[in-house]
Amino acid sequence: MPPRASRNDLLPGTLDMLVLHTLTLGSLHGYAIAQHIAKLSADVLQVEQGSLYPALERLQKAGWATSKWGVSPTGRKARYYTITASGKRQLGQELADFDTVVLAIARVLGRAEAP
Amino acid sequence: MSWLDGVRHRLRTLIRPNTYDAELQEEMQLHVELEAMQHGDAWAARRRFGNRTRYLEESRRQTWLPLIDAVRQDVSYALRSMRRSPGVALLVTITLALGIGANAATFTLLDELYLRAPRGIQSPETLRRVWVRHFRTGGGIPFTSQALHYPLYQTMARATGDSTQVAVYATDWSVRMGSELAAPRVRVTYASPNYFDVLGVRPARGRTFTADEGVLGKGAAVVVVSEAFWRDKFGTRGDPLGQTVLIGRTPHVVIGVLGAAFRGLDIQSGDVWVPLATYPQPEWMREPWWQSTNQYGLRTVARVPRLFDDRTFAARATTAARTLNGALDGERGDTLMTVATGSIVEARGPGAPGQELLISTRLAGGAALLLLIACANAVNLLLVRALSRRREIALRMALGVSRRQLMRLLTVEALLLAVLATAGAMLIATWGGTVLRTLLLPDVEWSHSVFDGRVATFTVTMGLVVGLVAAFVPALQASRADVSTALAHSAQGGGGRHRSRLRSGLVMVQAALAVVLLSGAALFVRSLHNVQALDIGYDADQLLFAGVRFADGAAPPAPAVASAMRDVATRLRRRAGVQAVATGAMDPMRGFTVLQFYTGRDSAGSFGPNEPTLGIVSPEFFAATGLRIVRGTGFSTAGPGAAPREIVINEAMARILWKDRSPIGECMVFVTRAAPCFTIVGVVETARRDNVIEAAMPQYYASLDQPPIPDWLGTRLVVRADGPALDAVRTDVRTLLQAAWPAGEATVTAMRENLEPEYRPWRLGATLFTTFGLVALLVAVVGIYGIVSYGVNQRRREFGVRMALGAGTGNVLQHVVWESTRTIAVGIALGAVAVVALSRQVAELVYGVSPRDPATMLGVGGLLLTVATIAALFPAWRATRVDPVETLRAD
Repeated sequence: MPPRASRNDLLPGTLDMLVLHTLTLGSLHGYAIAQHIAKLSADVLQVEQGSLYPALERLQKAGWATSKWGVSPTGRKARYYTITASGKRQLGQELADFDTVVLAIARVLGRAEAP
Repeated sequence: MSWLDGVRHRLRTLIRPNTYDAELQEEMQLHVELEAMQHGDAWAARRRFGNRTRYLEESRRQTWLPLIDAVRQDVSYALRSMRRSPGVALLVTITLALGIGANAATFTLLDELYLRAPRGIQSPETLRRVWVRHFRTGGGIPFTSQALHYPLYQTMARATGDSTQVAVYATDWSVRMGSELAAPRVRVTYASPNYFDVLGVRPARGRTFTADEGVLGKGAAVVVVSEAFWRDKFGTRGDPLGQTVLIGRTPHVVIGVLGAAFRGLDIQSGDVWVPLATYPQPEWMREPWWQSTNQYGLRTVARVPRLFDDRTFAARATTAARTLNGALDGERGDTLMTVATGSIVEARGPGAPGQELLISTRLAGGAALLLLIACANAVNLLLVRALSRRREIALRMALGVSRRQLMRLLTVEALLLAVLATAGAMLIATWGGTVLRTLLLPDVEWSHSVFDGRVATFTVTMGLVVGLVAAFVPALQASRADVSTALAHSAQGGGGRHRSRLRSGLVMVQAALAVVLLSGAALFVRSLHNVQALDIGYDADQLLFAGVRFADGAAPPAPAVASAMRDVATRLRRRAGVQAVATGAMDPMRGFTVLQFYTGRDSAGSFGPNEPTLGIVSPEFFAATGLRIVRGTGFSTAGPGAAPREIVINEAMARILWKDRSPIGECMVFVTRAAPCFTIVGVVETARRDNVIEAAMPQYYASLDQPPIPDWLGTRLVVRADGPALDAVRTDVRTLLQAAWPAGEATVTAMRENLEPEYRPWRLGATLFTTFGLVALLVAVVGIYGIVSYGVNQRRREFGVRMALGAGTGNVLQHVVWESTRTIAVGIALGAVAVVALSRQVAELVYGVSPRDPATMLGVGGLLLTVATIAALFPAWRATRVDPVETLRAD
């Protein structure tokens, strides 16, 4: 069995950021979001797909995303998620924080110059 | 607003709690199916998705749905346990419903009288009523009133510099619509043209008065009507504008209809508004009423804060009023008067509070006490129940129920009871509020129904607070339960010294508060008794007053009425059941005359505030009314014109003017010193002049047969009947009068009916406080019974042992009863202290009895102790029936 990244291997809060970022492309249903994340990370960030749904509930609770039932191109009923204005602001904030953290880690590991 | 989106999302899930799971399932199913389609491997797809149930749960936990589940569980558990012991649940619910309901009922009244501003006006907080403190009128005793005359209004309005912000109005709640006797009455407000602008009231249809329509002396016959009046009189269909309404004898054109909310500024709701300029000119007044300084009865409202602060307004208006009065003749000009402003809510103004407000505030106090008793009782009962469930609770805790969950469970239980109680309280509030309205203010037509949003909010808030209070103590106690000891002792443990102290403390509080309420009841009952026992001089139970009314403009000349009335009197004297008949110019205690007089002695200043007043009566008056002649004789019966000039004075007047000397034979002259002498022939006992409760008023009487000035005529009848025949005589009088004046309307009233409004507040106070007192007593007794009964159950073993060791029935009985009696006695002592502390608050509501009266307190204490002992006897008797063998074997 090949080693596989469990959902615990993601930095905390990263999944939310990835989902929000994905939603900036437009309204998507759950499966499409999962597909998008998997494809762009070349399957490296392969979280357990089910964990997407609690994350979506969390984003809606915070008011960063909304959802609506619609019909998928294949004719199935599907729930479509949309990022809200405050979701976009949140995403900007999280990206900035993420950059800071990544840069800091890179410095510790000697991969980046100290300021 | 991101959090708002979030809250909306959560609420949406709450609205359809059952579809949440199904929808998420469907969504996940689609996901897995799409994944399987993509890779052609259903099993791998499911594996890659992970544990579906777990993620469903994880999502669900983030919503508010779990809370709903928990509450639903708790509620269903609470309902089950209520069904298990319905007695306690019922008692707690009824007790709390009574407590909350009594408060809500008094709130309905206080809200209307005191708390809320008249509806339909703009920014009531900047609107002021103007009050005047008079010093010289009204017999020299300073009094505060809103009544003022037009020149005073004008002067004050001018002094403010902007009279557009100062409006004036008068009310007449009984104007005939038409001239016929049977014409319906309408409640009219005479308003200055700026009245509606000052109040910020816009008509729903049409317009209000223009300045032209309100020019004094040239008032236009136009009317603005309330929505309710319009609906009642004309139905909702058709155009009201332009139609006419008879007000008095004048047809008024409807120019506007007000919105439903506005019904005037007073508790009594108004029907129609007409220009102040159409205010009817009193017949006796020579100058136009708006120039007269005798025509009180106008009220002023002003947007004071738009002009200046209240103090500046009052200062300016006071200066202006004093200047105006200084210019009047010295006798009348009150140069000490001050002007003050008050809230638009009349009862919050500086005037003396009305009896209805006094009673309702005291009632609110009583209701609060009742609620405290109810709460103490509910807490006690719930506490007892929680203790009897110790085993169950301990078991739950042993099985892993957390303390928090346990507390929530008990809180939900108590809240559920509170919800039931609140529903009951709303019924009680509606019913009780209606009763209070009709009892306290029977003549008021209320503009709005008893129960509204404010009352509902009040009741629900109160119910919530009470529920939390009732839940708190038992929940705290139960959650402190220690698993091992509770399980070991099971239901036999007494709950420990600490807890029983709390319980008897609560009983003590109940007893103390019941003493306060019962004392209030006793004081009111005694006051009523004292007031009813007052000798007012007249034999009120035997007296009828009668006269005849005519349609406007249809009255025959007064001398003709008077002479025909003498004939009616003569005929009446021959009727069965009639003891005596007199005629008079006015009914006793319904009016009097003041006439300038001189006696041989210098009377200046000796009367103080109370100038002697005059009654003009026929010679039979004293015999008919039952006023005793204590010295000298009554009037001569020689007949009109032939009778000598005679005066009869009362004892109060004799005492003031002649001190210890006899006034008989002294001379009184009227109007001018040169006028002929009227001889004082008798002194009569002092009768009440205006009110049942008043100081002795100096009064004197002149004979209709030879009056000091000829203006007075005997147009009223005073009939003395045999007590039991009063009703029959009443019919006789009416028949005779109606026969004499077929076009008129005979009016006959019993003196008792006239006096009834004076006794009403006392009767009311007695009734309401007795009700409260009895409810308090009942609740307290139920509480005592419950506690003693619980105690006996808990201590069955102890009693068994005692009896096994030789204690007799009497012994055990005494032991149990003594314990509760001791608690109650301490409570009564505390209550007595509270009564003394509160005595000032009730002093103005009692008559002829001190609020600290020891006899009342002893009586109340004795009653409570007796009833409490009886309540304790039943469970105590059960304690004596304990079978020692059985209880000992139980372990």
